[in-house]
Amino acid sequence: MTRRFGLLLAFMLAVAVGHVATIQVAPTAIMRVAMDRLSDRGALINRFKFSPRVTAQSRWVVRPSPDLAYASCTYDLSKGPILVEVPPSPDGSYASVSVFAGNTDNIAVFDTLRSPKGIRFVLQPQNLSVEAGVPVVYSPSTKGIILDRRLAPTAQAFAVVDRARRADRCAPL
Amino acid sequence: MAKTSAFPAVAFALTVLAGLLVGAGSALAFMKHGAAEVQRGWSGSRVTGSVDADPWTRAQVALTGLLALNASQAMYFRRSADDAGQPLRESCRYRVAGGPLPGRWWSVTVYAADDYLPRNDDGALSFDATRVQPDGSGHWQAEVSRSRPAGPIPWASSRLAGHFDLTLRLYNPAPSAQRDLASIPLPSVTRIDCAGGEGA
Repeated sequence: MTRRFGLLLAFMLAVAVGHVATIQVAPTAIMRVAMDRLSDRGALINRFKFSPRVTAQSRWVVRPSPDLAYASCTYDLSKGPILVEVPPSPDGSYASVSVFAGNTDNIAVFDTLRSPKGIRFVLQPQNLSVEAGVPVVYSPSTKGIILDRRLAPTAQAFAVVDRARRADRCAPL
Repeated sequence: MAKTSAFPAVAFALTVLAGLLVGAGSALAFMKHGAAEVQRGWSGSRVTGSVDADPWTRAQVALTGLLALNASQAMYFRRSADDAGQPLRESCRYRVAGGPLPGRWWSVTVYAADDYLPRNDDGALSFDATRVQPDGSGHWQAEVSRSRPAGPIPWASSRLAGHFDLTLRLYNPAPSAQRDLASIPLPSVTRIDCAGGEGA
């Protein structure tokens, strides 16, 4: 009886540990896979990658929007801050730049509603202070993802914003 | 003698292993189907993508909506059932209808059960604020079905989507919408009919 109770207790504790550990570890693990994919297995770090127009075959991230054009920069701040520069779309339509930490948190977002002439900021580790002269975003993690989203619901609109996003920059200061 | 003393250790190890697997499985099930605020049949969260998200919300977003924006920039709503509570199915036609939404731009997209776009080549994976044709009072209609409707109504194809869900994205939501999800007039989703004569 005592042995059965002990096994039942061990089972219940293991269920709780397995549940909480999975919840805690999953975001970072999933983000690592995404960073690996978006950086072409580490070949594109601190550089923007321009995703083709989203189609029914797109599998680079779950739930992509077919109405948006995406460009991503997998960042690595281990060697210092980076400067991010993103011009607006020519027609002034929606464009945003969002910064994600290694645990998936969206730690900052800029859009062309508030920055119609383009988005420019420095991204740096929390333990470093740099006089940048532009808005500064502090990342709690060394690695993460920056995502440029632009409204492009048609092939024609995609072609227009694609030309604009090619000027995106994400590089060490 | 050694055999009898080893049994409790083996039983204990197997019990713990089974518990860990069940715990991990329950976490994955929650991440896939976890709870969220429900308004007019749509589920959403004000803390999606936010640094204020609790570990369960963060894990859920990581699995089903990685790289989601926080509510100051975009709000995400999802539903997998029509207004009558019936699961959304590829074999049925649905009318999606609503009015002005409190944001700069919005879209409604069809996703298959694997959280990706359905693998069809209809070129109609979503409809958005730039494609609907509101009437004088701002009300609009669209159709979700597996074949293109006869009229000029905006259409999102559910062909090859199986049991699917709809995601509504609301970009640059008004502050009032960010504060109170219940204030957002989210569109209705009404079943028109189904293949084989199963009507609404």
